[in-house]
Amino acid sequence: MSGARRVLREHALGVVFGVLFVLALVGQGLAGHADFNQQQVTDGLLPVSLGRYLTSADFAVDVAENWQSEYLQFSLYILATVWLLQKGSPESKPLDQPGTESDKDQLVGAFARDDSPAWARTTGWRLHLLSNSLGLVMGGIFALSWLAQSIAGVAAFNERQLSHRQPPVSWAAYLTEPDFWNRTLQNWQSELLAVFSMVILSVYLRQRGSPESKPVGASHTSTGIEG
Amino acid sequence: MISSAPHDVCDLPDRGTTDSVRIAVVLVLVGLLAAGCGDGGRRDAASATATRLLTAVRDGDGATACRLLAPGTVSALERSADAPCAAAILDQDLPAPDAVRHVDVYGQWARVVHAGDTEFLAVFPGGWRVVAAGCQSRGERPYQCAVEGD
Repeated sequence: MSGARRVLREHALGVVFGVLFVLALVGQGLAGHADFNQQQVTDGLLPVSLGRYLTSADFAVDVAENWQSEYLQFSLYILATVWLLQKGSPESKPLDQPGTESDKDQLVGAFARDDSPAWARTTGWRLHLLSNSLGLVMGGIFALSWLAQSIAGVAAFNERQLSHRQPPVSWAAYLTEPDFWNRTLQNWQSELLAVFSMVILSVYLRQRGSPESKPVGASHTSTGIEG
Repeated sequence: MISSAPHDVCDLPDRGTTDSVRIAVVLVLVGLLAAGCGDGGRRDAASATATRLLTAVRDGDGATACRLLAPGTVSALERSADAPCAAAILDQDLPAPDAVRHVDVYGQWARVVHAGDTEFLAVFPGGWRVVAAGCQSRGERPYQCAVEGD
């Protein structure tokens, strides 16, 4: 197997989802542009260019509101699965392992291996940062995406306000507007439903070969086993 | 587990931090750009158009005033007044131009607030055009305007 093919095979999951993300984002940009221009014509205004639309508040808020909910979903799941268990679910740790676990289990400090990250052998803030880096980064991206949603959202909201001869609102006032919370909560509920479904359905259903599933022959009560 | 999704940031805290900062910068820049930051030139242009309209009406120059109106506003004005725009616009009791107190620009729309009058503008091929003028605030309800399109 050539070097390039081996690299592609070993990183296929990341590559495929990265490409699908770009394709979906391009599709959203094109469809959103067409939708925006339909509204422009309805309002008696001229269509805008694709470049103008891609730098508009409408496009930014539509992207950001979905990003923030996805990162919230993963952030909550990363943190909740440290302590919360679900009997029979491969999404849960074994029922006797709630919490942050021992240094031996986590391969840190004296239990670090030769190929462990360098900071796994340290103590203090560096080990603490490494130990929580996934949740911190995912949570940080959520917070920034939500902030971006609010900033772009108030601009998009105010553009509609002006088109209806109504006064614009400040960013702080927008945070209390139904538009902000409708955009936010409609995304949150769908993400939480997907997680809830995954946790429960994976108790009873199987997908042979997937690490998201238990082995096909595993019992419904076995917990913390991945296929 | 879902939580073991393919993100390598957990292995490399330095790189993860750098990546998150880059994403943060991009997101905030996109948000600020979309929010209209750096729109000073557009604000000035909208403000100038709004003031030129009121100045033309004060000077009795209906033709110039109508060139500054949006096409839909011209049509609506001529229909309601049953007269050419250049004559009708002078009969709308628009106030004399005074200092601009505030300008809001969001996307394709702008609001220019004078002491005794508010105008709403939108972007057209020739630049900003006045969609509604002689508008008075009614709180949360839409402004009441002396001149406006459909």
